[in-house]
Formats: sequence, C-alpha cells, structure tokens
Amino acid sequence: MSKYLRNTFSDFWASKVSKIGVFFLFIVITVSIYTLITFPLDYGVRYWNNPKYWVDNPKAAMPQWVNSFLGGGLLDHQIISTSVPQRSYPSGIYYMKFYEHVFDLKVDQFPTFLTLKLEKLVYYSSRTPTIKLFVTRPDNKTIELYRLVAEAPLPDEHPPYVRYAEEPKRILLSGETQLSYFLSEFLLKEYHVTFEPSEVTKIGYEKVIFGELYEDNFRPLKGKYIFTVLLHTLDSRDQIGKTTIIIGGQIYGFMGTDILGRDLSQGLLFGFPVALLIGFITSVLTTVIGASLGIIGGYIGGRLDDAIQRISDIMNNLPQLPLLIFLTFIFGGKLWVIVTVLVAFGWSTLVIVVRSMILQIKSSSLIEAAISLGASKWRIMAKHIFPQVAPYILSQMIFYTPSAILSEAALSFLGLGDPSIPTWGQILEYGFRNGAVFLGYWWWILPPGLLIVFSAVTFVFIALGLEPVVNPKLKRWR
Amino acid sequence: MSALLNLQNIKTYYYVRKGLFKTLTIKAVDDVSISIDRGKTVAIVGESGSGKTTLGKTALKLVEPVSGRIIFEDKDITRLSGNDLKWFRRKAQMIFQDPFTSLNPYMTIKQIIEEPLIIHGFSEKEREERIIKALMDVRLYPPEEFILKYPHMLSGGQRQRVGIARSLVLEPSFIVADEPVSMIDASSRAEILFLMRDLQKKYAMGIMYITHDIATAKYFSDNIAIMYAGKIIEYGPSQVILREPIHPYTVALMNAVPDPDPQNRFKMRRIVPGEPPNPINPPSGCRFHPRCPYSDGQRCVKEEPQMRDFDDHRKVACHYAEQFIKR
Amino acid sequence: MVLLEIKDLKLYYKTMRGLLKAVDNIRLSLNKGETLGLVGESGCGKSSTAIAIMRLLPRNVGLFEGKIMFNGINLMDLSESEFREKIRWKKISMVFQGAMNSLNPVLKVGFQVAEPLILHQNMDKKEALKKAREMFKLVGLPPDFVDRYPHELSGGMKQRVVIAMALILNPEIVILDEPTSALDVSIQAQITNLLKNLKKELEVSMIFITHDIALASDMCDKIGVMYAGQIVELSSSENILLSPKHPYTQKLIASVPLLREEKMPEFIPGAPPDLVNPPKGCRFYPRCPYAERELEEKEPPLVEIEEDHFVKCWLYSG
Repeated sequence: MSKYLRNTFSDFWASKVSKIGVFFLFIVITVSIYTLITFPLDYGVRYWNNPKYWVDNPKAAMPQWVNSFLGGGLLDHQIISTSVPQRSYPSGIYYMKFYEHVFDLKVDQFPTFLTLKLEKLVYYSSRTPTIKLFVTRPDNKTIELYRLVAEAPLPDEHPPYVRYAEEPKRILLSGETQLSYFLSEFLLKEYHVTFEPSEVTKIGYEKVIFGELYEDNFRPLKGKYIFTVLLHTLDSRDQIGKTTIIIGGQIYGFMGTDILGRDLSQGLLFGFPVALLIGFITSVLTTVIGASLGIIGGYIGGRLDDAIQRISDIMNNLPQLPLLIFLTFIFGGKLWVIVTVLVAFGWSTLVIVVRSMILQIKSSSLIEAAISLGASKWRIMAKHIFPQVAPYILSQMIFYTPSAILSEAALSFLGLGDPSIPTWGQILEYGFRNGAVFLGYWWWILPPGLLIVFSAVTFVFIALGLEPVVNPKLKRWR
Repeated sequence: MSALLNLQNIKTYYYVRKGLFKTLTIKAVDDVSISIDRGKTVAIVGESGSGKTTLGKTALKLVEPVSGRIIFEDKDITRLSGNDLKWFRRKAQMIFQDPFTSLNPYMTIKQIIEEPLIIHGFSEKEREERIIKALMDVRLYPPEEFILKYPHMLSGGQRQRVGIARSLVLEPSFIVADEPVSMIDASSRAEILFLMRDLQKKYAMGIMYITHDIATAKYFSDNIAIMYAGKIIEYGPSQVILREPIHPYTVALMNAVPDPDPQNRFKMRRIVPGEPPNPINPPSGCRFHPRCPYSDGQRCVKEEPQMRDFDDHRKVACHYAEQFIKR
Repeated sequence: MVLLEIKDLKLYYKTMRGLLKAVDNIRLSLNKGETLGLVGESGCGKSSTAIAIMRLLPRNVGLFEGKIMFNGINLMDLSESEFREKIRWKKISMVFQGAMNSLNPVLKVGFQVAEPLILHQNMDKKEALKKAREMFKLVGLPPDFVDRYPHELSGGMKQRVVIAMALILNPEIVILDEPTSALDVSIQAQITNLLKNLKKELEVSMIFITHDIALASDMCDKIGVMYAGQIVELSSSENILLSPKHPYTQKLIASVPLLREEKMPEFIPGAPPDLVNPPKGCRFYPRCPYAERELEEKEPPLVEIEEDHFVKCWLYSG
C-alpha cells in the first residue's frame, strides 16, 4: 500500500494548486485551533448574542489600523479606569474621595458617546453616599455632568453595604436627561447662549462637552480633559472599587465593530472553526450516506436499487430552499437543522455517480473471482468494491466542503441561520439587515465575504489537486 | 466412477433490453451436455461467441442457466444459491484469464491468497500453513518474500501463479481455467500449463480448460470439446480429435493455425469464409451451414444435427459425419 | 534493393524511475517487396521501433537517435513538418495495434478511408470516395460498405477497413503492429491471406510486428527477433525457423505447441529484464541455458555469422 500511497501523494502534490490549497488549509486549521483554545465553546450564547458584553464598545467603529491610512485623524476608543482615588480628604463631617480620569483629545473629532461605569461600591454609613461626575476641560471650564445617590440599605442588610458588585452600574451619559439640564446651564453661563435642554439633546452632549461654540457650530476642543468621580460620603471607609470612563471612539479593534458594538475580529475568528466544522460534518455525512447507498444499490441491484434510485430522484427534484424555510419555521433556526437539510439534499447526486461506477466494477473479473471464492455480498462490497471507489469518494467529500460552507453562509444570509453561533454568513446577514452596505460600513461586509470565499477556495484547490489522483487520464506520465 | 461434474442440457441465455419494449435474447450456451471426471482435463475450444466462457461460468454458478441441470459430486446444485452453495464454492474454483484485473491491487499477496481461507473459516495457524504451501506449489520462491508484495510488483506470469495459488488453497476438486495463459508471453505459457498439470495430478482435480488455442489443448487436455455458436459440435479424446478431425469446423479451425514453417508464406491458408454467427439470431438448422463448404443446402439448412456417438469415444454433431470419417 | 535501413536506433522513455531503454541500439533492413517480421514478447521494444520509424513519439521521450535511411535520405534529419508532409502515411503508413477499435464511431468507414486523400492530395470528396470503394474491393469488402458505420461491421471487417486506410495513399512501406491479435483464429487466417494477396498485387513492402513466431512464418520473408530492446537475431525466415542460432530464438520456437507434429512445448523460466536498469552484459543471460559466468558482464556484439544472418550472442563471437 505504501508505494501506492506514495505515488498517490506525488500525483497530488505535483500541481501548484494543491500546494496553495494545503497552505490555505493549514492557515484555516491553525486559526481554528487557536480560536477553540482561546474562546469558550458557548461563546455564541454567552458573549456574541449578549448585548451587555458589548455595551462599552463603540458602535460601527472602523478597525484601528484604518487610522494610519487616514493620517491619524480618527478618535481611538478609550476606556479609562481607576481604582484608587487621586485625592481624598475630609470636608466638615463629610469625606470626599476624588477618582480622576485623564483623557487627551488629540484629534478633531467628537467622541461618539460617553459612559460612566461604577463597580463595587462599599459603604458603611447609614446615610447613603452621593456620587457626582465632573469634567474639567482644557479651557479650564468645569461642568457637572451627573449626580447619583447610591441605593439605600435594605431592612435586613448590615454594613458594609455593597452595591454594583455583581453587575457594574453603567450610566450611558449620552442618554441621560440630567446632562441636558447641566449642559444647558453651562452654555448659558459660559457663552451666554440659550439652548433649551431638548435642543442640547438634539445637538448631542458630546459636542457640548468636548467642543467650543464657534459661529453657531461646535468645534472639537483638543486638549486634556479630566473626568472626576466624586464620592461624597460620611464614612471614610466608603469607597468605589473601580470607576471607569468610556470615551466612545470611531475606531476599535482589529476588524472594527458592528452596530451592536461587537468586536468583529472575535466574531470572524469564531467563524473559522464553525465553517470548518459545518463544512466537514456536512460533507462527511453526505459522502458516507451517498456512497453507501450508491454501493449497496449498485451492487445488490433489484428492488433495493430501484428504491434507492427513486428516492434519490425525488430528493434531487425537491426544492431545497422552501423546504429549509419551512423546517426552520418549525424547528427554529438551529445549526443541526441546517446541517440535516444540507446532508439530506446532498447525498443524492453522489449516489448516482457512485452507482454507475459500481455497475462497471461489478462485471469485472475481480468481482467474479471474489464470488467464486465464496465471498459474501458485504465482504465483496467492503473489500473489493469500496477501495476502488474510495479515491473518488474522498475527492468528492473534499469538493462538498466548500459547497457546504457556502450553503450555510447563504442560508444564514437569508436569515435562516443559527443566531446562537457567530458565522460569517450571520455577520453578513446582520450587516445587510442594518444597512451596512448603504452606510458604507465596509469593514463589516468585506471581511466575512472574503473569508467565505477564502475557505471555499481552500477546499476547491485541494480537490483540484486531487483530480489527477482520481481521474487516471489526468495523470502525469510515470 | 461417476463424473465429478455433469452438465446436462445447459442453456444459458443473456437478456438485453433494447428500447422500451424489446428484449433481445443472447443464446450464449444453447443445449450443451458435458461431464468432467476427477483427475482429467476437458478442453473447451472455441472462438469468440462460441459460448465457452459462459459455459465455464455456468459450471461454477457464476451465471444462472435458463434450463438444464448441474450435478456436482452427485448432488444437483442447479437451484442452489447463497449460503447453500458455500460448500460448492470451496470445492470448485476458477482461474481467470487476466492476471492484471482479477487480483485486488490494494491487497498484498498474502491477503489475496488468504481471503478464501478466511471466508471458509480456517484458523490463523492453518491459514499461514496453507498460504506458504500454495506459494510453494506454484513455485513462487521464496514464499516469505512474496507474501508481502503487491500485485503490481510482480510480472504477468507471477501474477497468474498467484491466481492459481489462490484457487488451490482450498484444495478444490474442480477447477475452471478460463484462458489461463492467453495473456502470458508465449515463452512462459507451457510453464504455467505444466504447473497446472502437475497440480492436477497431485490433488486429483478435474479441470475444465477453456481456450481458443487448439494447439495447447492438444498437449494439455485428455478430452476436447469444440464449441461453435453455443453448441458443442465435436467431442472426444484430444489426440484422436486432433489427429483426425471430423466436423468441418474443427478442420477449418485447425487449418487456420500455422505451425512455424517458412513455407507457409508461399501458400494461402485454407479458410472458410464469413464470421461466427450472431448469438441473438443463429442460423437455422446446422449453425455452421452458411460457412460450411460441404453444406447440402437442404438438410443442413433445415435440420439441426444432434451429437452422435462414434466408436472411438467420439461424438460429432454433423449430418455427414460418417462420410468425413472415412477420409 | 534496400528500401529501409535502420542503424544504431535508440529510443528511451522518461519514467518516474529513470530512463526506460525501450529500443537500445538496433539495426534492421527492409528490401523492396519484402515482408520483415519483428518478433518478440511483451516489452521487447517492437512496438516502440514502429513508433520510432513513424515518428509518433509520446511526450516523455528521453532519447531518440540513430539513422533511419529511406530511399537514401536519413529520416532522422527531417524536421517534423517535412516528415509529416512527405513521409508519414504517404511513403510509410501504419496499422496500429487495436486500430479497429479506434475507428471514429460517428463517421462512415468509407469517409474515414477517403480522408487521407482529401487532406493530403487535395482530392475532392466524390473522387476520394470513389477511390475508397476501389480500395474496399481490394481488401475484400463489398464496395457499398463505404456507407456503413464502424459499429455495423464485425471485427474482421473493421480490420480490413483499417488496412485500406493504411494503403489508400499507396505507401511504399506499411508497418502492421499485431494486426490480428484481437481477432479470432479463423478470421486471422482470412486477414493473413488478404495480406499475402496484397503483397503480391501491390508489391508493397511490409514490417509485420507480432509476438507469435508461427504467425510470422505465415507472412514474413525475413525475421528479426527482439529481446529486451535489442535485436538478438536477424535473418531470412528459413534460417530463423529451421536453424535458429540464438538461444532465445531457439527456445521461442520450441515454445510453440505444434499442431501437426508431436512435440511437447518448452518454456523459458523467468521473465524479461527491467529496461530501466538492464543487465550490463547479455540481456538474456539470466535465462539462457548456455550461460557462462565470465560472459555476464560484457554485452555481445551483433555479428554476421553467415550471409545475411546476424546473431548477438557470445556463442558465435569469441
């Protein structure tokens, strides 16, 4: 067998296409392994479809590296945290703790949003502490942005009272009406301009906080901003475990984000093993079922063969898409539904080809010899027929893989996919659904599309490399 | 002593569907009776379309006859199939024409020869012994070297010996050899045929030797049956038939074969015109009559001659056999 | 008169294992009106010799050299287009092994025979078909068979068509590679009779390639015996068949089971050598009954031991 395998391998390796294909496959497999090691298996449910996880990210942000092409004019997303107060001193009976966050606005852009996050507030006094947020601008103007009183202790609670420990308190300042009043006051005081709070909301808080009014327009004010979280409390032991200021940028991460702020690089990475798995499982199942039925029907013949042929004819002529929609409607969009449908519609073409190969092999003297030795039907099929069609079946299996990947992508694109697992098709679908094409969010659309093509091409190249092995006429002279 | 294998009035037809409603019947073997004894070789000689290969396959039940009886070791096996036939398969084996396509290229020599032993339930130890013995019987030395090889590593002659070893390993009592040497170099044929003859003596096997080469039949068979268009037209001891053939077809067949003689090129060979008939629509009466130089145009055209006995253990199917025998 | 003279012809193929020396330094000559037989078993190089003469080389040729003198010109000096225009099919044509199965199934056989006339002699179709009919008569086929398709003809008839195709341009030499091995014995005799007639009527010279030396005796005036890519004996049929000198020739003839005499056929044990790494000395040495140890390393020369009788064997050269 070894010489046969060696010859087979050299036939396969001979063309450039197979070398490229194997190289691509190596990339796909390596990335998939890396992904499976670094990400938990329930990533889809736990993180991808969990909006809370992405809440701190900018929405529809471009990849970070775009900034270098655009001359660095875009605002990077910043998350500034601190756990230790910069200053803390008593003031009368009160105690003040200042948690400071410094943000340097270097570009001519407004942040896209502003969030304050508080984690693990611990307080001892019976009077609940107050938390205030201020910002000191580069022009030395200070604006109070937000005021919050911690939740009072419950009747059966004892000090120390812990708040925001399991779930951080997230305040999306960009959506808080408090700010509109504070900012309206600020504008009146500083610029002697009247803007109603509702107008301020319409303009956008970020423009007011980070900008200066110039001829009816707000221009970004570059420079250092200091955001201070003030804990106003009675007990000096009171503290906030961690305060965070999130400045929404325009760029984020390696591949940017989608409209929910999801880090696309994670989603795309996860798509690798999923594509590989779907492609592999579908093609293996399809091939095993199709080849077995082809061999059994072809060899045993008779009514069994007729039955198999009729069934595969029917399957070939059933409309795949409407049926898939129907099943998705009944069972919900689940991965196993997709795989089942792809397999169910895939095996029939293989049956026909394998069967015709078997019919030819059946009349060879090799099979006659096996019969005359007394071999049973099953022994003949397994030991004498199968090895002769195995190379073809193997190459078909590899050829099916890209079509399975593309089919899944198409189905997800049509919205029939499994939303609990991020696949490239899913990402594409979500993008299209949210108008990414019209809004020009190319980083959301192009990468998944290219990756789908790349993975399909990988297997196509490998299958092309396998062709001379399978088709003796294409063999190089030996 | 009763015959090892007795074929009685065997008719084996193939049916081919032509178009939606028509089915053509190919009368490959059309009423043939023949028997083979232990330790003897019967050569079935004929050209393409004579039905000789089909007869061999029928004898081994690789193809089912439409009518007639197959009696092996006094048991009627005509209607048996599947598992009921397993004992028969152990005792009756086939040697195939093409040593290239009858061996599984994915199996080692050991696996090829071992297969019948596995099918018929021999223990591992017994299998090993028998494999080595079979390889030594067919003179593939040293056996230990050959068992690890694959068919493509051997020459045509060696492969054919592996095929013979495979059919011998069960120690059968009956062998059908279908053109066993026609794909082997001329200078190696006699080696294989001698081998088969020695093994026949050693194991007292009956052999049905199917060939188109009447000359090898002369030296390697006890009896010859000449087949034409699905029927046996002459049968008898090889030496007798070939020294004095009776049937005009047998004569024609022998005339067509040259011996190495430099004078041959100055003379035209004595031939009969035409070609063997279409097995779907054989000629009426005697199937040879369209080509026979002695056809009387009447009886030969209308009446099919039956195989008739002659004194020297011969049978001929020809209306004018008596006249020819006097020649 | 010598029509074709081959000297020092070599044809090697490139294979995965190395150079396969299919034709390794052979010499042959063919006189006008003569039939030369090339006899040998599988792998001896006889078909490759025919391919070399017709220059129908496959892609993996490793070496092709030597002299093929035809009517005073060395064919090896001609360019591919010169050979195609002047020689191939017009002066030298070929009947290939299994040719009857390579007839175009969708064209009428008459047209296939007429085609060379239309292509090479610019004849119009009607005239060419007329010539085809004449040729059909010559090869023993009814002239109105020109309208039949290959699948309507039997094996023997198809072979006659193929022979007609080879003769249509009136070549001086026809090479026939195993023209009858796919046919039944009785049809084989018909075809050899036909060839004998054609030889007489057309005076065409033939090279008849076969593995069957008895068949060669039925056709050939001269026989060249090939073994492992070399000519081991070359002489008239009388000399070869009645007093063969080379041990291989002797054993080859002795292997034929005689129909008209009582003589147990013999055989040569072993198999021909691997042509990628042939033995350094005499290639028949491992199987030769007269082999002598000392001569294993040296290749014997092809010597003329009597007039027009060449043998390549140490028994006859020192």
